[in-house]
Amino acid sequence: MKITVHSDPAWGAGLLSKVENDGPWGNWELYKLAIHVEKQLVIPEFAGLQAPKYLSDLKPLPHQLEAARQVVENMNGKAILADEVGLGKTIEAGLILKEYMIRGLVKKVLILVPASLVTQWTFELNSKFFIPAVAQKKSYGWEAYDVIVSSIDTAKREPHRSIIFDQEYDFVIIDEAHKLKNNKTKNYEFVQSLKKKFCLLLTATPIQNRVDEIFHLVSLLKPGHLGNAALFSEKFKGKGRNIIDDKHLKELVNTVMIRNRRADTGIEWTKRHVETTILDFSPSERMLYDAVSAFRPYSDDAIGAGFSTMTLQREACSSRDAVFFTLKNMYEKAENPTKEFDDKLHHLIGLVNAVERNTKAEKTLELIKKINDKVIIFTEYRATQTYLQWYLKQNGISSVPFRGGFKRGKKDWMKDLFQGNIQVLIATEAGGEGINLQFCNHLINFDLPWNPMRLEQRIGRVHRLGQEKDVMVYNFATKDTVEEHILKLLYEKINLFEKVVGELDDILTKLDIGNIEEYLIDVVGHSRTEGEMKIKMDNLSSLIQFAQDMKEGEQRAATGNS
Amino acid sequence: MNSVQQQEIHDFLLTYFSSNQCDVIENKLGYMTVQLTSEMDKALMNRPFYWHYIEKTGGEPNPAKLTLITNPADVPDEVKGEMIHFGSPRLHKIFESTKSLASYIRLYEDKASRTMEQIPLYPWLGLNVKISYQCDLKRDIFMSLGLNMISGAIVEGFHDYVLTLNVTPKIPDFSFTLSPLIMPKSAMLRLDTYIRKTFEGDDHVWAEEAVKRWNTDLALLEHFYEEMEEKNETYFTEKEALRAQYEPKIVISIINGGLFYLSGQPV
Repeated sequence: MKITVHSDPAWGAGLLSKVENDGPWGNWELYKLAIHVEKQLVIPEFAGLQAPKYLSDLKPLPHQLEAARQVVENMNGKAILADEVGLGKTIEAGLILKEYMIRGLVKKVLILVPASLVTQWTFELNSKFFIPAVAQKKSYGWEAYDVIVSSIDTAKREPHRSIIFDQEYDFVIIDEAHKLKNNKTKNYEFVQSLKKKFCLLLTATPIQNRVDEIFHLVSLLKPGHLGNAALFSEKFKGKGRNIIDDKHLKELVNTVMIRNRRADTGIEWTKRHVETTILDFSPSERMLYDAVSAFRPYSDDAIGAGFSTMTLQREACSSRDAVFFTLKNMYEKAENPTKEFDDKLHHLIGLVNAVERNTKAEKTLELIKKINDKVIIFTEYRATQTYLQWYLKQNGISSVPFRGGFKRGKKDWMKDLFQGNIQVLIATEAGGEGINLQFCNHLINFDLPWNPMRLEQRIGRVHRLGQEKDVMVYNFATKDTVEEHILKLLYEKINLFEKVVGELDDILTKLDIGNIEEYLIDVVGHSRTEGEMKIKMDNLSSLIQFAQDMKEGEQRAATGNS
Repeated sequence: MNSVQQQEIHDFLLTYFSSNQCDVIENKLGYMTVQLTSEMDKALMNRPFYWHYIEKTGGEPNPAKLTLITNPADVPDEVKGEMIHFGSPRLHKIFESTKSLASYIRLYEDKASRTMEQIPLYPWLGLNVKISYQCDLKRDIFMSLGLNMISGAIVEGFHDYVLTLNVTPKIPDFSFTLSPLIMPKSAMLRLDTYIRKTFEGDDHVWAEEAVKRWNTDLALLEHFYEEMEEKNETYFTEKEALRAQYEPKIVISIINGGLFYLSGQPV
């Protein structure tokens, strides 16, 4: 066959001018060195990986090397990396990128990641892979640098957008790509319009196994691989619960997706110890909790009341400050409040003021002193976060806050402080995603989120690859409250805290429950008796248990050990 | 870390710096400290603003001193420096600079004459090239060629042959050069033709496979956009991306080369 041959006429022209001008000629030693070096850099084979020999300090795990090899040799450099959480997708992506750069097939690279991860990605590519990645700061950066890391939200906005579309990228990496499952969004359309010679989509949670979502994600990577939209929906839509059970489709997806499971990697994980403490309210705390439990803002308001009551109850389990914040909001938002409403609210605020101590905070302080090492405290509420920071300070312990809303620089700064001299980091839920804190192995759940996935994400911040010590998880729950129900009736029943990170993901995906948090609120809020709630919770936990058994059965079948 | 390789890098750096007139202030087991010249600072240190400033203001240039560590295990703690290994960007910068500083050469064989007889030296064009087969994958072939500019004979392994000789940049006493019959320009062309012939006859399964992969993806793409009567920009972008990804090509890049005046014939 006819193959285009490119040669370099510039060198010949240079030679002629040297001959004409009688030099200047190069140095023989350097000439020899250049050839010596070039021989070292020759890539002898199409197959195999060159990258590892260039990465002296990195010890990739076998499954990471295998993933990189698969992507380069069998997937033609376009793949979805969907390993279970904590198996090192970033390492895989770095290896693949490095491989293409060494082979001279990739020069211009765009890496789109959540804003909170920009610095981390940049740092890891530079320090682990010697890839000169630069965090996007100024709009001229897109042109000036070959490897740039940015958040998708910055990239898709003008003036960046137009500049980016003018660049010819050899390689595009998108982290947290599961956010691109909807083809109607601006982000999706933006990524679709990028020129992607090679492309990696990384997803932290496995694709939700819904056919339309997976269709959009794969179409972003390799349009047509799963057919076109019309044909696809005709074939697969409206098939019950939309879950991928079609064998052929599964196989097709597997040709563009790598999904390592923890169980298959044979990696030894450090242990996880869980210590749950059930606390008793102080009398004044109990009074506040009981009062908000009985609180109905409007006597005739049946709907919605359950929700705000529940919110207040959960807050009362955390801190009086959290309760106060919500009450204040209600007060300010109410238009033409009735006298009755006003009175009720003032009564509650009076009870808030009467709370003279925070039992959990006292217990936390005691625990931190006992641990005498770095500790992360998670709370759902900002008011609690602020209070805790103040309370610990009063007792001679300095801490730093961490929130999802922080700007990139501030997040990095807080993390650095925590890694340095500060003993405690207090994070709210939103801050739970996207930071790696494996240098710390003590985690306190000051209050509990009503979504097991979020709890898992919290633990996943510290219990991940690179954690060298056993991880200690301390849970606090207050006796005879909604919190205790959730803990005892659900989380402990399904052994949530003992599960390895990523497992729950799979199970919940199989169940396709939808919004589990809403479901729980409904169960707790609308059960008329404790007995009813217990039954409903039992049902849920047996469902989860069932899905887990199913999963284990599948795995046994897959490995042939049935 | 591969210590043989690290020792090789150490030797490489020493040769590199001394060939570029940089003083090696300290050369110890596992590390070295080098005083860069202004030229080397510009080539390696990546600080154009500094040099721009010095040149504009006529200030006293202060080229950097570099401590390079090739084996940290041998280095005392108080020595601070930059770790150099096969993957480090600094080493690759030095590689690049080595290549650009030694692209063209002219050498004469220095063959001691016992009889005071004049030795004739034949002109050769030597060329070291890298041939890359490239699609979504890549492999390289190194080739060193020499062309006798009088007879037109072409030999492979030319560089290895020259390595066995004594060579010097100045024409030695008792030697004289023969004038070439083939001019450099046409010698270049002949070598180019020769290089292309080395792979033209091969069966390029790799390229055929790449085109197959390309066609498969193209067919999928067409299918994806089938319903769309007026194809949008994304379609054309994706199509172009597939070309960039798969299109097989062969790239001949010249590492270096030059004129060699030799007494004998390489075997």
